[in-house]
Amino acid sequence: MSHLAILLLCVFGFAALAVVMERHQEDLFGRPMVPATARSLRVAGWAALLLALAVAVRAQGWALGLVSYSGHTSLSAALVFGLLIVQARRKGRR
Amino acid sequence: MRSNDSTVPRAVSKPPRKPRGIRQTMSDLHIWAGLLVGWFLYAMFLTGTVSYFKDELSQWMRPELAHQSEVPDPALVAQRVASQLAILAPGSPQWSIGMSDARNNTANAFWRKPGVQGRAFENATFDPSTGHKVAARETPGGEFFYRFHFQFHYMPVLWGRWLAGFCAMFMLVAIVSGVITHKKIFTDFFTFRWGKGQRSWLDAHNALSVFGLPFHFMITYTGLVTLMALYMPWGSDTAFKTPAERQQLTAELSAFIQPAKPTGQKAALAPIDDMVRQAQARWGRDNINRVTITHPGDAASRVSVSRGEEGRASMSPQYMLFDGASGKLLSTKDSVGPAAETRGVLYALHLGRFGDLPTRWLYFLVSLAGTAMVGTGLVMWTVKRRQKLPDPDKPYFGFWLVERLNIAAIPGLSIAMAGMLWANRLLPVDLLKRGEWEVHAFFIVWAMTLLHALLRPAKKAWLEQLWLAAAVLALLPLLSVFTTHRPLWQSVAAGDGVFVGIELMLWALAALHAVLAIRTSRHAAKLRPSRREAAGRSAATASAGEAA
Repeated sequence: MSHLAILLLCVFGFAALAVVMERHQEDLFGRPMVPATARSLRVAGWAALLLALAVAVRAQGWALGLVSYSGHTSLSAALVFGLLIVQARRKGRR
Repeated sequence: MRSNDSTVPRAVSKPPRKPRGIRQTMSDLHIWAGLLVGWFLYAMFLTGTVSYFKDELSQWMRPELAHQSEVPDPALVAQRVASQLAILAPGSPQWSIGMSDARNNTANAFWRKPGVQGRAFENATFDPSTGHKVAARETPGGEFFYRFHFQFHYMPVLWGRWLAGFCAMFMLVAIVSGVITHKKIFTDFFTFRWGKGQRSWLDAHNALSVFGLPFHFMITYTGLVTLMALYMPWGSDTAFKTPAERQQLTAELSAFIQPAKPTGQKAALAPIDDMVRQAQARWGRDNINRVTITHPGDAASRVSVSRGEEGRASMSPQYMLFDGASGKLLSTKDSVGPAAETRGVLYALHLGRFGDLPTRWLYFLVSLAGTAMVGTGLVMWTVKRRQKLPDPDKPYFGFWLVERLNIAAIPGLSIAMAGMLWANRLLPVDLLKRGEWEVHAFFIVWAMTLLHALLRPAKKAWLEQLWLAAAVLALLPLLSVFTTHRPLWQSVAAGDGVFVGIELMLWALAALHAVLAIRTSRHAAKLRPSRREAAGRSAATASAGEAA
């Protein structure tokens, strides 16, 4: 169960960090984001990544927790990356 | 005014060529370190990736052995196999039994041949429920891919390991130089520019590298650590000179106890299951890895029962040592020194055997990304240079060679690996040296893909091999329907996660190859008309590209 929680937190974290990047705001919303929103999303993104680490270490201990955290961050960054590509392609087709 | 002196001449005299920055130098290093051993690295990465499920693959390759719904008690298994070894290998100075477990439905044992000096071993696979040799087809199972990924084949084991270490060192250089080369590692973190040719390849290569960077670095470095005693023996050679010291070193690294001098006095081996039960009480019922017995039947007999790898990220030996004749516990090894423990942790990180199923899948997926990282790197070498070719149909020899080797290394390897699984299903069960023939089949198929890649036009060779890979992978579950008693629907009904998982995975991999084939064919269609006009333009774009 902890695996799912870690993965979801990481996906949220990376998604938040991705949408505050200017390049992706253009692609996703067609306009830049309000700076205040961007700032709070950036904080939320980093907080989610840290929280995922805490969940991993608490549930699995330092040794196994760090290993699976590293795996989950890799996987979720790739998932967010894939979602951004899919979104950009769908938008391009319309 | 010395600072002026040094700047003035540079500003006045026209520079013959720009000084090469660190990034440019590192980029060249990255490109050539990666290319030179890239084909080996790709094969090491892919077969290594598959090895995270080697026990499951071994199960699939022995369809005669029923799905194991519960793990048999290791105490009983050890006793059964030991009793069988007393018949098979009497007088052997050393038996070693690898336990069956949740992922492994066989027990493996190897033993030193009696009366032979040096490292002469025999081995056999045992059915844990009976203790007899397994009544299944002879196959190396997933073990072959595991061995291949660090020692290759058809060459002495040590040569293979040296070659693997050489390639891993290049990989380490490629990783570090790659990070330095990659200018915008954070601003480009999620960037992918679709349909932009070389730019898209670079984005994909970057994403595959950056997301898995901790893993890629870890796996390369720890891979070198696993064989460090081979690559760099000088430290321990200097520090440990006497045989006693060397034996002490071995004891810090391995639970595999060495036979001492036999007394020649006969003494029956005490019950093994009682010893294993004591170890189970300490580490848990299913957390027993290996039972090693020296000089069974002699008064000097010793038995070590070692702890499993589950739940601890360390390969350092932990074992209980018993007197084989009396069954008395002599000592318990619980920890090693800090240096040995560091190695134990790094070793365990590489193998990932401690992990639960989700962790194992993470290892597999990120490692697959590493494979794709090497693959995209190899392809990019040709993509980048194809635009600058004066005549794309008649490339220079180096380009031709890289392109053809890429085809045999990437889709060709997929076909060869699937080919071995086909051989596993199709070779007659009573064929002499059947297990070796499965391996020969792998290399024969691989050699044929190389021949095909050399003879066909490059684009056609890519397409044909990708489609062939998709087909042979997709047909494997169907082949099992006709050649085994374990069709997919029956595995589903029986709740056999191993067979279902592997056959669905084969389909997923087939789909991946089909997608790659479709993209490759579309790419060709788009590029063809623009290529001729690009030939005239190439001089202009090349110089513009270099200026940028």
